[in-house]
Amino acid sequence: MDKYLDARFERVERALASLIDSIAKYNPSEKLGEELVAADRELAAGLQALETHHNNHARIQQLRAETAALDAQTKDIIGALWAMRKEVKNTHTTVYAASGPKYQFTTAELLDYARRISSTTLPPQAAINGAADRAAATAGAAGTSPDADDAARSSQGGQTPTASFGASFNGGSATPTQTQTQTQSQTTVTSTFTELPMNIKPAVNPGDGAVFYPWPVEEQIRGGALSAVDYLSTHGIDPRGYDPEEEEQRKKEEEQARKEAEERARQEREEAERRMREERERMARERERARAEAERRGSVATGFIQAPAKAQFTFLDGLDDDDDDD
Amino acid sequence: MSVDSSTKEPPAEPGANQDEPKYGGYTRFELELEFVQSLGNPQYLNHLATRKFLTDARFVAYLKYLLYWARPPYLKYLTYPGPTLKHLQLLQEEKFRENIISPELVHLLIAEGMKAGVEWHQETETKP
Repeated sequence: MDKYLDARFERVERALASLIDSIAKYNPSEKLGEELVAADRELAAGLQALETHHNNHARIQQLRAETAALDAQTKDIIGALWAMRKEVKNTHTTVYAASGPKYQFTTAELLDYARRISSTTLPPQAAINGAADRAAATAGAAGTSPDADDAARSSQGGQTPTASFGASFNGGSATPTQTQTQTQSQTTVTSTFTELPMNIKPAVNPGDGAVFYPWPVEEQIRGGALSAVDYLSTHGIDPRGYDPEEEEQRKKEEEQARKEAEERARQEREEAERRMREERERMARERERARAEAERRGSVATGFIQAPAKAQFTFLDGLDDDDDDD
Repeated sequence: MSVDSSTKEPPAEPGANQDEPKYGGYTRFELELEFVQSLGNPQYLNHLATRKFLTDARFVAYLKYLLYWARPPYLKYLTYPGPTLKHLQLLQEEKFRENIISPELVHLLIAEGMKAGVEWHQETETKP
């Protein structure tokens, strides 16, 4: 580019010098003047080319800088990625040793279990509504005035909470009273507007005031197998190997056997009675027959009396014989 | 406890052994399942404390033995898994066994348990 411009400058200088010479010699030539104009035009064109060149150069420079910057950025990113990958690869997954070992299970098992426990772990909608308030109220009562709560409870139950499980288990009765007072205060405020009267509420919504316990309640514990076992041991029966159902079955069978034996005995007795009656009847009949026989015999005996008459008659032969002898 | 729990091995799963000895008509599995779930009731814990069970070394050993409910295959039989396992874990602590006799702690456990019983559900519902 430099040579290109230098050549043009030289040409302009040369044209100028020759023109000046020609002027100095007082012999100005038109041709020389034209030459200078042409050279000047060339120079102007060259300068324009130089400007374009400079612009291009600047652009190239800018692009190079941009490329370099992007290269650097790419390198940074790749480097960061590499470092991150390395880090990720080197990171050990946290082992919760304290929480115990992990167990394998299948989705079906999990879903089965979820369905099974849903009734005991998922509160009904009625219990969710306002349960938070109730819990807060209970917490407040327990936190702020446990003594008052205690007093109320012992006056209700008539026993101290530690006296027996039954007495200690009247939280169920304590909670409803709290909710009752709470809702009563609510109704006094809003009764003129939208709230139903307290006595109608349960009829409209059976779940009204429902309390959800996420554990077995006292009734369940009292009606369970342990209490059955306890009942047996307090009644002096060793529960080991003792099955009330089997006992029941055994008792039933015994009862059945007893009944059957009784029935059999009754039948035997009846049979015996029948036999005895028959015997008696037979004997009566025999006696009757004997009597009849005797009677008959009696009548036959009178015949016998006549028979001697016959004999006497036959004796007549003898008599006749006698007579014959005579 | 009238049930003999000196056996170190957890009872067999239901249906595994038909000749399982019965106690009042129930298998050891049934009785222990019921007992361990009853432990989820704070008032029952208080009842046990007032009857001085929780200070009995034999009973403490029994509570330790009951930890098998936290593992399969027994885990899936718990119908009140949250409070049951929480209280079973807490009962392993001597401090808790001493303190549960206090009605205040019982009320606190009831309030927290009932709150948690409702809120865990709401939390999962509000999650995106």
